[in-house]
Amino acid sequence: MKSLFFQEVEIDPSATARRLMQRVHNRDGLPEICIGVILLASAFLIWLQVAYPRGSFAYGASSWGMILLIAPMIGVSQPFIKWLRRRFLIERVGYVELRPVPRKLLIIATCVAVTVAAAMAYGVYRRAIPSGSWMIAGTGMAWGFLAAYAGRLPRYVIGGGLMAVLGICLGFCKLSFELGSLILYASMGILSLLSGCVVLLHFLRKQDEEAD
Amino acid sequence: MGKTKIQQLAQIDRVIHEPARLMIVALLSAVVEADFQYLHQTTGLTKGNLSVHLSRLETAGYVEIEKSFRGKYPLTICRITKEGKQIFDAYRRVIKSAL
Repeated sequence: MKSLFFQEVEIDPSATARRLMQRVHNRDGLPEICIGVILLASAFLIWLQVAYPRGSFAYGASSWGMILLIAPMIGVSQPFIKWLRRRFLIERVGYVELRPVPRKLLIIATCVAVTVAAAMAYGVYRRAIPSGSWMIAGTGMAWGFLAAYAGRLPRYVIGGGLMAVLGICLGFCKLSFELGSLILYASMGILSLLSGCVVLLHFLRKQDEEAD
Repeated sequence: MGKTKIQQLAQIDRVIHEPARLMIVALLSAVVEADFQYLHQTTGLTKGNLSVHLSRLETAGYVEIEKSFRGKYPLTICRITKEGKQIFDAYRRVIKSAL
C-alpha cells in the first residue's frame, strides 16, 4: 500500500484528485441519461432521413435538427446536469465548483474540431469521403473510445467497448451510412438511458439506506 | 551548505503530510470549492474524522471554511487558500525530487 501511495503522489496528486472527482461526478447516472437522450434524439433525426425521401420536409427538418437541436443539446447538457444536481440532489451528492477548462485546452479542442469539420466538408465536396462501412465503424470506435476515456468507470468502458464492436459489426454488414448510424445511435442511446436510470435508482436507494 | 534532496524530506509540512489531510488538500486543489458532503463522499472519511481534519487545516490557514445555507440545506463550503496551495505545491516538489 505504501508503495502504491507514493506512486500516486509521485505521478501527480492533482490528476489523481481530478480522476477521483470525475468518478464521483459520474456516480449518479445523470450524465448517462443525458447522453442517452442525445443519442436517441440523433437516432430519431437519422430515422427521418432513412424513412423520408431526400428533398421532403421531414428530410430537411432532420438536417436542420442536427444543427439546431443536437448541437445546443450537447452544449446545455453539462449546465443542465449541474442545475439538476443543485436543485434535487444537493443533499445527496453535495456541492462542488470545478475549475474552468483551461483556455489553452479550449483553443486546442476548437482547432481540432474545426480542422476535422473542414476536412470532412472538403471530403464531401470532393466526393472523397470513405465508404459508409468505414464511417460507421470509425464512428463506433471513436465514440466508444471517448466514452471509455471520459467515463473512467467499468460501465463506461464496457459501454464504449460495445459501441466500438457494434460499429465494426455494422461496418461489415455493408449497410448504408444512414441505416448503420441509425442502428448504432439508437442501440447505444437505449443502452445508455437504461444504464443511467438503473444507476440513478441504485444511487438514490443507497443514499436513502445510508441516511436511515 | 545546502541540504540534499533526501534531507529535505525532514522539512515536509506535517499538517499536509497526514494521509487524510493530504487527500483533502489534493481534492480541494483540483476544484474551486466543494462542500462538506461532497468531500465526505469523495474521501470516504467519516463525518467526525473529516470535520477534525478540516478544522486542523483551517487552523493552519491552508483551507478556508464558509458556512451558509442553500434553502434549508446547510452548506459548509471549503476552499484551499493561497498559502495552502503553495504548501501543497512545495510538498509535491519535495516528494517528487526526493523519492
